[in-house]
Amino acid sequence: MSGDILKRIAEPSLQVVGYVVLAVMFLYILTPLVWMFLTAFNPEGGPFLELPKEFTLDNFVMIFTGEPIKGRAGAAHPFYMTRWIQNSFFIASVALLLVVTMASMAAYSLSRLDFPGKSLLMTFILLIGFMPSMAKILPLFKLCLMFGFVDNLFGVAVVIASSILPTQIWILKGFFDSIPRELEEQAWVCGCGRFTTLMRVVLPVAGPGIAVVALLSFLGAWGSFTIPLILIRSEDLYPISLGIASVFIHNPGEIGLAVDYGPLCALSIVYAIPSLAIYYLTRKYLMQVRLGKMEVR
Amino acid sequence: MKIIRWIKVHSVELILATFLLPALITLIIFQLIPTIWTIWFSFTDMALIGKRLIHPRFIGLENYVKLLNDPIFWQSMKVTFEYCLASLVLRFVLGLLAALYLTSKTFKGKTLMAAVFLLPYIIPGVIHPYVWISMLDTRYGTLNRILLLFGLPSQSWVYKRAMESVIMINSWAGYALAMLVLASAITSIPKEYYEVAEIYGASRWQRFTKITLPLIKYPVMLSMILIFKEDIDDFTYVYMFTEGGPHYRTELLSLYAYHKAFAYFELGYGCAVGFVIAILVFILTLAQLKLGGT
Repeated sequence: MSGDILKRIAEPSLQVVGYVVLAVMFLYILTPLVWMFLTAFNPEGGPFLELPKEFTLDNFVMIFTGEPIKGRAGAAHPFYMTRWIQNSFFIASVALLLVVTMASMAAYSLSRLDFPGKSLLMTFILLIGFMPSMAKILPLFKLCLMFGFVDNLFGVAVVIASSILPTQIWILKGFFDSIPRELEEQAWVCGCGRFTTLMRVVLPVAGPGIAVVALLSFLGAWGSFTIPLILIRSEDLYPISLGIASVFIHNPGEIGLAVDYGPLCALSIVYAIPSLAIYYLTRKYLMQVRLGKMEVR
Repeated sequence: MKIIRWIKVHSVELILATFLLPALITLIIFQLIPTIWTIWFSFTDMALIGKRLIHPRFIGLENYVKLLNDPIFWQSMKVTFEYCLASLVLRFVLGLLAALYLTSKTFKGKTLMAAVFLLPYIIPGVIHPYVWISMLDTRYGTLNRILLLFGLPSQSWVYKRAMESVIMINSWAGYALAMLVLASAITSIPKEYYEVAEIYGASRWQRFTKITLPLIKYPVMLSMILIFKEDIDDFTYVYMFTEGGPHYRTELLSLYAYHKAFAYFELGYGCAVGFVIAILVFILTLAQLKLGGT
């Protein structure tokens, strides 16, 4: 009886505490982002949270045209926003295509084929992906010099794709494994060719997996910083990540000094929009990634 | 003849096997060869420019001896240890909390929660430090305003507490990794377990420690290993935020390797640091697997 009362009091209060903690977490997550959003539309934004007195699009105009805003000094460095966006889009879409094609081919093959040493190969792929990037990224410069991949957007995309590939093969193999082979066999019995089966039966069922892989590889390539930092030397070919760094990088510890906050926030928003858009398109599938298959050690 | 017949019988398998080739070739050229090269370069005096880029000299363990006597290396070891440990704890705890919210029946608004929880993870990493400017500003920053509210002295986050600031940014940006892994693990636990436990009068806490935790043991370990690997590897935040300063207090090992190779042009030495990172990841992964009892 007393336990019952305790429960009746404890349950709702627990819920209240839970919601309070949740609210604190939301504040922690959202406050920095809210500042970014407000400051992008603020004609005189500073490094502090405040509601803009008037609403302006000048900052967005500024980052695309490079025209300094009236009454303020221009950025120390010129903006090449359109070119950065083009470069980033090129890198991200080439990397996405490469990863989706290569990973789905490899994962399908690994899922349907049995051969001696298969688990060894899977472990090898996992280990390659797990190698810290600092343990392979420095010689990449020399390797890419040999291939002519330094200062080459396609080369950068290939290198990024190769670094994303291992995990994506594992994720996709999980999805292909969950499609019973009988389903395919039935399709063959009914007179579908191998290829038609692949296109009409397997790919639609593995669709969510491919969507997740597309999302993850786009996010990875669109936001990539270290690999372009090492492989791209000329400013013409900067993706947005390097572009932002070139405009707003500051001396050690000088954050908050001599930075034009409005354009910075506008640029950040423009940079984030494609990532958010592709997340929005694929969000339904993201939670379906079962990492259970990765538990095989 | 025999070979031709074998090929005919196994044609489908052979075609499937060729599907593997593009991925494998890419991985070998752009991932495996650089890894092996890192080890090889770390035993040479290779430089990024000039004659020593093309004709490096084999110098044995000289780079590693230099490393052991390099005060900045030990400084960045210490800094990396602090950074990784603090980030691991924060990212894991926040991620677990978020995963519990996402999977619990008690709390409403899952779609909103998922969207908000994933926001920092989705926006590109380069802008994370910038987004935090308003939080960390010394005079009007949000954090200092909160401190003032509680009557505490305001801090010079960027200058005096650079490490704490980077850790905060990193855990803000990266907890979603643990959240994704743990949430998908928790949803795959059969509902019946909890129903039975409830019938037998198990409390919420008991249900969590006796059912959820043991069943997500491997995902917990997996997420910890992934977090550790990401933190020791990625120098984007410190590069954007402090460039390792002030006085090497945020010079992570990865940033140190990059600086050695691309600012001081000592590619061989940078590779030695990179190889040390690989060894650290390897040892700590093994340790975590051992601790997890596998």
